[in-house]
Amino acid sequence: MVGFLIKRFAQAVFVILAVTLIVAFAIRLTGDPALMLTQGSGSVTEADLVRIREALGLNQSFFAQYWGFLTGLVTLDFGRSFLGGTPVVKLVGAALPATLLLALASLVVSIAVSIPLGIQAAVSRGKWPDQMIRILSLVGLSFPNFWLAIMMVLLFSITLQWLPPSGMDGAMSFIMPALTMGIILTATNVRLVRTSMLETLQSQYIMVARAKGLSENVVLYKHALRNCAIPLITYFGLQFGALLGGIVVVERVFNWPGLGTLAFDAVGARDYPVLQAVITVLSLLIVAVNLLVDIAYGFIDPRVRTE
Amino acid sequence: MVKKKGLQAALLALALTGGVFATAPAQAEGTLIVSSPQDPGSWDPIDTFLVNWASVSTNIYDGLTYRGPDAKLVPGLATSWDVSEDGKKIRFHLRENVTFHNGEPFNADAVKFTFDRLLGEEGAKGPQRSNYIAISSVDVIDDLTVDFNLTAPDPVLLTKLAGYGAMIVPPKYITEQGDDYFNVNPVGTGPFKFVSYEPKIGIKLEAFADHWGGAPKLSNLEYRFITEPATAVAELQAGRVDIVIPPTIPIGMIPTIEADDKLAVVSVASPTVVALRFNTANGITADEKVRKALILGVDREMIIQSILGGQASPIASFQGELSFGNDPDMVPLPYDPEQAMALLAEAGVAPGASLQIDIRGNDATFNEVVQAVASYLQVIGLNATIQPYETNVLLNDIIPTGKTGEMFQQSWGGWTLDYDNTAYSMYHSGEKWNPYDSDAELDALLESQRAITDQAKREEILKSIAHYTADRALEMPLYNLNAIFGVNKRVKNFEGVPDSRLRLTNVSVD
Repeated sequence: MVGFLIKRFAQAVFVILAVTLIVAFAIRLTGDPALMLTQGSGSVTEADLVRIREALGLNQSFFAQYWGFLTGLVTLDFGRSFLGGTPVVKLVGAALPATLLLALASLVVSIAVSIPLGIQAAVSRGKWPDQMIRILSLVGLSFPNFWLAIMMVLLFSITLQWLPPSGMDGAMSFIMPALTMGIILTATNVRLVRTSMLETLQSQYIMVARAKGLSENVVLYKHALRNCAIPLITYFGLQFGALLGGIVVVERVFNWPGLGTLAFDAVGARDYPVLQAVITVLSLLIVAVNLLVDIAYGFIDPRVRTE
Repeated sequence: MVKKKGLQAALLALALTGGVFATAPAQAEGTLIVSSPQDPGSWDPIDTFLVNWASVSTNIYDGLTYRGPDAKLVPGLATSWDVSEDGKKIRFHLRENVTFHNGEPFNADAVKFTFDRLLGEEGAKGPQRSNYIAISSVDVIDDLTVDFNLTAPDPVLLTKLAGYGAMIVPPKYITEQGDDYFNVNPVGTGPFKFVSYEPKIGIKLEAFADHWGGAPKLSNLEYRFITEPATAVAELQAGRVDIVIPPTIPIGMIPTIEADDKLAVVSVASPTVVALRFNTANGITADEKVRKALILGVDREMIIQSILGGQASPIASFQGELSFGNDPDMVPLPYDPEQAMALLAEAGVAPGASLQIDIRGNDATFNEVVQAVASYLQVIGLNATIQPYETNVLLNDIIPTGKTGEMFQQSWGGWTLDYDNTAYSMYHSGEKWNPYDSDAELDALLESQRAITDQAKREEILKSIAHYTADRALEMPLYNLNAIFGVNKRVKNFEGVPDSRLRLTNVSVD
């Protein structure tokens, strides 16, 4: 177990290094923050720009800047935002919980809907509930999430005035963003649960369980679901990463004060420190979730523990 | 028994609130919520050049001078000023009995502190300092008198003192609390005082009843940062924000707002002007006749009506109607394709000649505009190709280095609304935005107006510069864009401002 953890930790360090290096390099190709800061100012001279670059530390070489970022990372000091000088840790610290809560809510929505539907589809394979669920899932897959978000806002916020159109302000404000993310996830998950369940239901131990006269619910939810959980958990874990990536669009539409919004604004303002910090935190999260998935296997499937 | 207690409590509460209502003086009430597209990150006047800093901070701070929606300069924290003969010294007489929100007195020391800070080490880190470098020092004469000593006359300085970096800040507060604290806990002398700020979410202000200009009519003023236009408009429709300020609402969303009985669109001329400038050094546009022909060949009025939904006005030079130096009697060249073709023939341009137009690729509205321009040029026998660039590439790599095609997009507009800001950058030899043209006569005109303080005379020179550039057809002036506000009708006395410097003292809500 310790060897395994060390290996995963080394992998994580490598991932972070690679990702941050690419991001740091790429964002520096997109334009000069000093010019962004002085846009609209007619009388800016080259000397002013030099002054501002110096104040932002942009006069150093790329590797010196990147090294500064890395050394800061060790002490969790991501520097200051180019826009207004707020410490980046504060900005990320405020945005991280918002994103995590939303991601979690979406995942819960998706799992709560997709497992019963997927099982139902598998059980009634080829019959009308299965067809229906598969069609619905296809419809769900085909929705672009920003379109879905805007339609929900039109219906629930403007026409019916039930839900707030944007912002993170109480439980009600979670419903639409979590549904938007959740519906798209559900669409893929239903198919996955169905396939996985179909495979499991063919197994001999299911036949044995049924032969023993166990109730159908016990057969499905205790015996079958538990056995098809491994591919599902792997997939949900991977999905969490994709979820964090896709959250940028949904956060922007719902003006959700999370990492996606922060990253989006940072790209627009060429706010290097903020963008680097957000990407680092997101990479860390994805690495951590994948690790948790691996560990979770052990609890679900005793075979993994002994291997 | 329980019931009785409840009744007592209710009576007590009623008595208490009744008491409060009876004793409180008639005062401001109501909360106004504004949607602003960007969080500037710091509320310190010397840290920013974002217009959305000003749409909040104009309520928190005052300058020595003040300029409202009518674009006229009036006294602010200075009640009057005298400019010396040579224009190198300005003496300001300060307003008495003004205090900052924290109780600190406003006086000559505060003015000196503000400008020492702006021009010193702290200001050097930010983008504001460069606008005020004409000031060499500020001398305190007495508690309510200060002298500004200038290295050279700056005719736009009095205007610049009405906004951004020149906002007066409290010396004791900043010295004691430090710059980092001040960034996120601003204190000024303005009509609203700071309550709380959540980065990327919003900022809350409340009325400062002791403001020298009179107490605001609102008790609370809140701003929410909403970047996405559709989201901001949805919040407006849902009645959760009262005003959506520019630059948020795209022209395409105006009908949505207008269709809603509770909402209104307020649209005023902004400082932003858009032109297709000419490469006067190479290609067919090196010939003045060709440049005139190109302008005559494009129906700019039609573009404004059909593509911009009328949310812009035609311009005759590279400035809008509010600009100091704009000559209202100057009319844009008419749309006259026949004359255009005649001029082209005269200049020896063969039908089917080609030219390239460089634009910002991410500007959706302008993409439509330039398509229309290209079709008009087709009509007069020219083949225009459109070359889109990423905005930063166009602004930093293509224009300043003189690598554009025959025409290129330029949008411009400074909050000072002084044509000098545009004309000097666009036309003076060697300026960053003037990669092609060098005209000694124009240089002399541009320099001459900078050295004089007589504003009437300056205005004459600026007008003559506008005429001169139009005669030489240095650009195809397209239009002056409007600033578009979406407003809930419960908001009363709202007046749209051209330059985002939104002050909401007189606004109230039902």
